[in-house]
Amino acid sequence: MMKKVLITTIVVVFAIILFHPGRHAKYYNFIPVLDVISEFVPIKTQIEQPNLKNCTYEFYSDLILSGTEFSSEDVYNSYKFTTPLNGGEYIPQECNPIFKSAIVVPYRNRQRHLEIFLNYMHAFLQTQRIHYKIIIVEQNDDFPFNRAKMLNVGANEAIKSDFPCLILHDVDLFPLNSGNIYACSKKPRHMSSSVDTFRFNLPYLGLFGGAISIQSKDFKRINGMSNVFDGWGGEDDDFFKRLEAYDLMPYRFAPEISRYTMLFHKKERASNDRWKKLKYSLERQNNDGLNSIPNNYKVVLEPLYTHVIV
Amino acid sequence: MSPDNDPLCCCEYFDIHQERNHILLCCCNCQDLDESVESFISGKGIPPNKARGFMATLQDRVRVPWQGGARRVAPDAILPIFMLPSMLLLATISIWWTISIFSFMLLLLSYLYYCCMRSVKKTNFFLIWSLMSLIILLFIFEFVVMPFLEILVHENLAVILLVILCITCIYVIKIRTNRLRYAFENQMENGESDKIGRMHYCQICQISIPERDHHCVWFDCCIGSHNRFLFLIAIALAIGALLYSSNLTLTSVCHPFHIYKTILLPDDCSDVYEQFELSLSFVSALYSLGIATVFGIFLMYEVLLISIGLTGQEWRALPISAKLCCAITAHRPYNKGFFGNWFRAMCFCQKYQKIASQY
Repeated sequence: MMKKVLITTIVVVFAIILFHPGRHAKYYNFIPVLDVISEFVPIKTQIEQPNLKNCTYEFYSDLILSGTEFSSEDVYNSYKFTTPLNGGEYIPQECNPIFKSAIVVPYRNRQRHLEIFLNYMHAFLQTQRIHYKIIIVEQNDDFPFNRAKMLNVGANEAIKSDFPCLILHDVDLFPLNSGNIYACSKKPRHMSSSVDTFRFNLPYLGLFGGAISIQSKDFKRINGMSNVFDGWGGEDDDFFKRLEAYDLMPYRFAPEISRYTMLFHKKERASNDRWKKLKYSLERQNNDGLNSIPNNYKVVLEPLYTHVIV
Repeated sequence: MSPDNDPLCCCEYFDIHQERNHILLCCCNCQDLDESVESFISGKGIPPNKARGFMATLQDRVRVPWQGGARRVAPDAILPIFMLPSMLLLATISIWWTISIFSFMLLLLSYLYYCCMRSVKKTNFFLIWSLMSLIILLFIFEFVVMPFLEILVHENLAVILLVILCITCIYVIKIRTNRLRYAFENQMENGESDKIGRMHYCQICQISIPERDHHCVWFDCCIGSHNRFLFLIAIALAIGALLYSSNLTLTSVCHPFHIYKTILLPDDCSDVYEQFELSLSFVSALYSLGIATVFGIFLMYEVLLISIGLTGQEWRALPISAKLCCAITAHRPYNKGFFGNWFRAMCFCQKYQKIASQY
């Protein structure tokens, strides 16, 4: 009798350890492909070229439903694209754009990645007929990389140039489906939910890094991201908490249009005190963020991108 | 000297001189070693009887704590416990280490298998090797690959289910062979052994096996018509578990891609040696793939044998010329046609089960 109880207990304990949800990738809720189109927020009508019609929703629903699927090798191909305006801004000539987004990319010391990124992303974004601008924010010192601070500075620049939609994007991530529209949805959105190096699965539900989209007004409301996270990790979890506090729970679109490929690079060391910082994240929200960014940065307009040097 | 009557604690045992001893004293008081070292230092060389005495003492003193007194373990049985992990660890250093260690392992195991088959001596080396492989592979999959957070619950569940099913099959295979011992001893005494036919005596198990196929050293058990079909199922399940788990591991540590939009396969594993966890997972996946390949070849061989109505024992007795044309031309007195043979293989499992369960 004792033996049976003992064996059952051991089996149950083992089963709990082996199948504990914290040890696995997560199943998650997402907006199905058919409903995706109704989630986007178009810009308030600004007639930029009066002789052109507005871009249609039909074009976008076609793109979402029957987008081309790229493979991870396609990223390295060289693409032909219309040369954008100085500073990496592009206004489509086929029709009046209904979406206007700023792609903000924090960056340091990855020249090769940046070249691949600009080549691929300009070609990718131009097929989507959106008005966009690529802003590369470079941290120009030897301190640990502060991704969130870079994103705040870049977002500040974008908001100044009147972009209603921010796409916060890593330089080593590349969308693999042309139906992944780079425009803002009603709620903040985690765009890179299906990354190839994670077996196209989601490691944990609170993950909110990689490529995300958020409306500028929401970004201002939550006071941006926290500036205290030096080194790798933590800042995206903190961002998630801030959104939660303002009832702006981010969501995700169907995995088939959210596929990304990530270029390999060695993981930088995670900062040790990030859990402590996360604990007090909400107390800092009002005075640490978009309103406390450094102002000693300069903006250079390169042919393919706006270069912000901090 | 008669042993005293106090019960042994789990670390105590009676040694070859019938004296009470403790496993922690394993390095104390060895007369033969003392004397041989003394004579070696004084330049006289080691007398052979001392060396033999030392070896006997050594074998006697290698023990594991056990309820009711420490048990002796055979040195060949503990060898894999150290060999396999150290080989896998060495293989994580670089791609060349991986290649050379796996080739060495293949050669070593084939050589040992050949020796074991010739000497017809019972050894637990291979059984312990398979057990160690199972434990190490499962451990790496669950506690090194899983924490990458890239595998879903249902995928983990599928692997564990396959493993449990496979172990159950092997357990039943062994149980059936053990039951034969009682079943056929009884029939032998009554002189009924002719009724069963195609009986073969296995020198390792020391029992007669109906339609003996071979003695599987890896599961340490004889395969005959009483468990042959179950054996095939066990092998197929093992292949399934090994292939699936290695695919999950490889797609986690390498760069994966989709084919037909559903199946995920690895395509670029060039970065795995940069981090220990990655290389360990990679090596374990390669090891699984290796075992799965060997099992796959063996499964095809067994399927061929069953289809043409032969046992392994009969196949090995055939000349090479007959083997080359798949024994189609050979004399096969028990052949009942393709479907008949398979039907027999499936049903004889049941039949011997019934005979055995009567005793």
